[in-house]
Amino acid sequence: MVQIVVHASPRLDGGGSAPEWLLLELQGEIESRNHSGLAGNLMGELHFSKEGVPILVVGHHILYGKVTRLERPFVVLVKQTGARAGAERPMETEVTEQEVSEGSILCNYLVTAIIKKKIIFKTRPKPIITNVPKKL
Amino acid sequence: MTDEDDYDNFTSALKQSRFRRGEQTFEEALAVGDNVARNGPNVNTQTQEQTKQQDTVVLGSSARKRDLDTLHSAEEEEFLDHLLDQNQEQGTITPRLKKPRLGAMKRLNFMSQLSSGEPPLPDDDITPPSSPDDLPQSRHPGSSKVSKQDIADLSGMAPMEDVSFQTMTKRVLKRPPVLEDYIKVTSSDGTRVYMVLQDEDSSPGVEFDKLRWSGQRQLHLLGVPFYDLKEQVAEENRRLVLEESQRLSEMLNSQIDEEFGVVEKQEGEAADEIDDECEECSSSTLWVDRFTPRQYTQLLSDDYTNRCLLKWLKMWDTVVFGQEKPIKKSKQLVEKHSSFKQSQQLQQNKWKSKTQITEEILDAELDAHSRPKYKVALLSGPPGLGKTTLAHVIATHAGYNVVEMNASDDRSPEIFKTRIENATQMKSVLGANEKPNCLIIDEIDGAPSAAINTLMSIVNRKDVKEDETAAGGGKKRRKKDGGILQRPIICICNDQYVPSLRQLKQQAFTLIFPPTLPSRLVQRLHEFLHGRGKLNLSMRMIQTANVGLKDVNKSLFSIWQEIFQLPKIQRKRIGQGCSLPYELRSSDDQKALDGIMKTALNTAAHRFNHILHLSTSSGDHEKITQGLFDNFLLMKFKDPTFNGVCLALEWLEFTDILNKRMMSVQNFQLMRYLPFLPVTFHVLFAASSVPRISYPNSHYEAQTKIAHMHNLLTALVSEISPAIRSRITLQALVSEILCLLLDILSPKMRPVNTQLYSAREKQQLTDLIGTMLAYNLTYHQERTPDGQYVYLLDPNIEDVCRFPELPARRPMTYQAKQLIAREIELEKMRRVEALLNSRNMEKKEAVEVKNKTSESNTSSKACVKNHKQTLENVLKSVSVKEKVELDFFGRKMDKINIVTTSTVTGAAEPMKETAEKFIGKAVGNSDVWFRFNEGVSNAVRRNVYIKDLL
Repeated sequence: MVQIVVHASPRLDGGGSAPEWLLLELQGEIESRNHSGLAGNLMGELHFSKEGVPILVVGHHILYGKVTRLERPFVVLVKQTGARAGAERPMETEVTEQEVSEGSILCNYLVTAIIKKKIIFKTRPKPIITNVPKKL
Repeated sequence: MTDEDDYDNFTSALKQSRFRRGEQTFEEALAVGDNVARNGPNVNTQTQEQTKQQDTVVLGSSARKRDLDTLHSAEEEEFLDHLLDQNQEQGTITPRLKKPRLGAMKRLNFMSQLSSGEPPLPDDDITPPSSPDDLPQSRHPGSSKVSKQDIADLSGMAPMEDVSFQTMTKRVLKRPPVLEDYIKVTSSDGTRVYMVLQDEDSSPGVEFDKLRWSGQRQLHLLGVPFYDLKEQVAEENRRLVLEESQRLSEMLNSQIDEEFGVVEKQEGEAADEIDDECEECSSSTLWVDRFTPRQYTQLLSDDYTNRCLLKWLKMWDTVVFGQEKPIKKSKQLVEKHSSFKQSQQLQQNKWKSKTQITEEILDAELDAHSRPKYKVALLSGPPGLGKTTLAHVIATHAGYNVVEMNASDDRSPEIFKTRIENATQMKSVLGANEKPNCLIIDEIDGAPSAAINTLMSIVNRKDVKEDETAAGGGKKRRKKDGGILQRPIICICNDQYVPSLRQLKQQAFTLIFPPTLPSRLVQRLHEFLHGRGKLNLSMRMIQTANVGLKDVNKSLFSIWQEIFQLPKIQRKRIGQGCSLPYELRSSDDQKALDGIMKTALNTAAHRFNHILHLSTSSGDHEKITQGLFDNFLLMKFKDPTFNGVCLALEWLEFTDILNKRMMSVQNFQLMRYLPFLPVTFHVLFAASSVPRISYPNSHYEAQTKIAHMHNLLTALVSEISPAIRSRITLQALVSEILCLLLDILSPKMRPVNTQLYSAREKQQLTDLIGTMLAYNLTYHQERTPDGQYVYLLDPNIEDVCRFPELPARRPMTYQAKQLIAREIELEKMRRVEALLNSRNMEKKEAVEVKNKTSESNTSSKACVKNHKQTLENVLKSVSVKEKVELDFFGRKMDKINIVTTSTVTGAAEPMKETAEKFIGKAVGNSDVWFRFNEGVSNAVRRNVYIKDLL
């Protein structure tokens, strides 16, 4: 049997639970200019209106979403091998008993965050038009 | 039937006996009555002294009328048919007049016709004394003595021959009786006899009745004979009239006289009376007024026209006077028409078709409101034939009050409408004459078409309304009755083909006036002069006189012709008096005689005077001069040295100078020199051959051409560039600039593409285009009549400054012109654009100027700066500015971000940013954007292998 060892985050050892993250679910893709990858780029801004409606501004698009509670919460695990060869890679993995139950001795996982809620943006984004140029 | 009753009882007895017999139908009885009537009056007139003995003869003849009919010879039968037709023609009117009259007497308090003293003659109001040619005398040389005036008497001509010719011969005199009244009778071969009327006085009362009214014997269906009633009415009326007023005109007198015995007063005497009375009342009246026809019988115009108009007017009686229109037997009518036509075929061929048409119109049924089908009568004919007079006389005759509108009245549609409605719907309340109105619109061809449309709408609109109201309730009905046209309208025009009348003509009863018969004219003139003791009027004088030309001058053509033609030899002239129109220009007798007596017209002095007189009297010097100018070179004259032509031209010039002086200084004394030009031309160019003269139009053409050129030039000048306009005048432009400009505008151009032009050629082209634009010229494509396309100068100054006969110099090719036209268009667009740009971007230009200076300084920097400059310009023009940098929520976005991103992108792709990208960044503030996947959600699933987890 494969055994996967899950540790609590060392920072959290002192007490309290892992920090809670939010899951953003978008119906669509985020693309970057020149396909240079998303890394290091500012994606956009997330705001909440007074009514608590989340509003995401990406590029010249604005998206309206809503906050839902996940039926099953997620945890964010960070794989840690003994050699620490792999770069830190945040992965969203569904936590299941079978997977967690056993792991190799060399490899263990560190819980970095717990995700209980997600914001889902499933409507068509609206363009932001500031000033229409009349003549270029 | 052999009982010897007196005449009054005769008819009742006859009627009784007929009905007792019971074998005849009513119509047959009527026919018999007709026959009696036919025979009766003849006998009566022929045998002027009526005794009972002769009555027996009458009875006898009527009793065996069938025998008579069968016994007549074939010719007589035909003649009888003809007479029957005439009789029937009158008969169609007689019943109509009789019954309605009775109704009117009850209703209208003895009717206007009667009160005006009109003779209630049934035959007279439709059949006035016919002109001598109308009588069918030529067919019956045997019956040469026919009473001219009384057509009813005609019906007795056949028996007259048989029965009582010898009694008549006693009374026929070869010369007019000295002291008594008489009737003059002229046969077709010109012999005239006179019949004494003395017996009338000796047979008063009953005798008169017989004489006068026996023509209607067939209609005695009332208890008291109708003529008795009528007679009473007339008697009473006469008394009233005589007592009431002394100011009644002679018309009344003569007609009353007619009623009382003088069956047909001699017209000359009537005219005499008129003259006398006129002289009594006002000796200062014009002859024209004095001799204006006042009665139907005095009308000079064509009989047939008169009758048709009167008949049409009578058709209104049902509406206007509330009388019934008699029901006609159409079948009989048709038969009558056919036979009538047969008998008349030889005499009046030209009348046939016209007669048919008009009679159809007149016989047509009345419409729903018992109005005639044609609400408007249109009289048309040349001026001076008496149309207006006819309309007035007939309207008065038919018992209407005449309301006239003519050219002097205001004819704007509104006023026109008010006046028509006033005339047709109102009635004069004041005054004794309560006659209904009859509107006469004189000279309608001069009215604007809007006014005529108004008239049409008044005539027609009611019809529409009536349809509406027929469906609608009774509320509208009153309105409709007020609006419906219930009075006759007579329109009079000179030219029925005027465009504005086109619509009216379709709905009008159109009558065309034939020219006045000279014979009638002679007769009428005789009446005047007979009374005045001037008997020296001959037929020929009348023929030569210009009669009936109220306001028509002699035509210009005849004047020109006389100027260019030597007078004919004398004997020829005498032969054709009326074809030479120049002898008698006035109706003055003395002058006319002079004209005829003039014999030596072809001597030089006479010619001189004649032409002088001619041109002076015509007055239209301008037209005459134009005609002379246009035609004098075409005449056949002998002038080898052209001295005459030069002289003529000098005269023309002189006339021009005179005209100019007259017009500019109003010095009309000079006008008296103008008539001498035609004299000169006559002396110089008159030939004996008949000249062919064309109407002068060179003047008109020249005028229009001048106007055209002027328009062209003003159009050109108004668009010319101001710099040039300030230095030219119109005169200088035409005489000095334009013809040279044409040469400038057609340079030599190689027929190749402009791309292949050398620099010099290109310069040439731009210069050309600049010039053309400066003078607002361009080439304009036009299609010639034969289907080719040509380019013409747009204000076509070639027309102005080039003579059409001369060959055009070096025309440019079609392609070259096309090229130039295109280049001009482009240049225009360019200029407009430049103008717009200069207006819009003054700042920018200023910046650019600065820029250019800096650009000249450093070339390497310049391009960078230039690039930035354009970006800035774009940004400015797009006006993104601060607004863009505001957040969506209105917050200010941090400028750092923009700067960083822009710098980043600037580094990534140097110098290649387009404005679009810049804007995109500015808006979205990031290099990342979102792409929406519709209906796809494959982003969630991902295969994870356990070995990766380990």
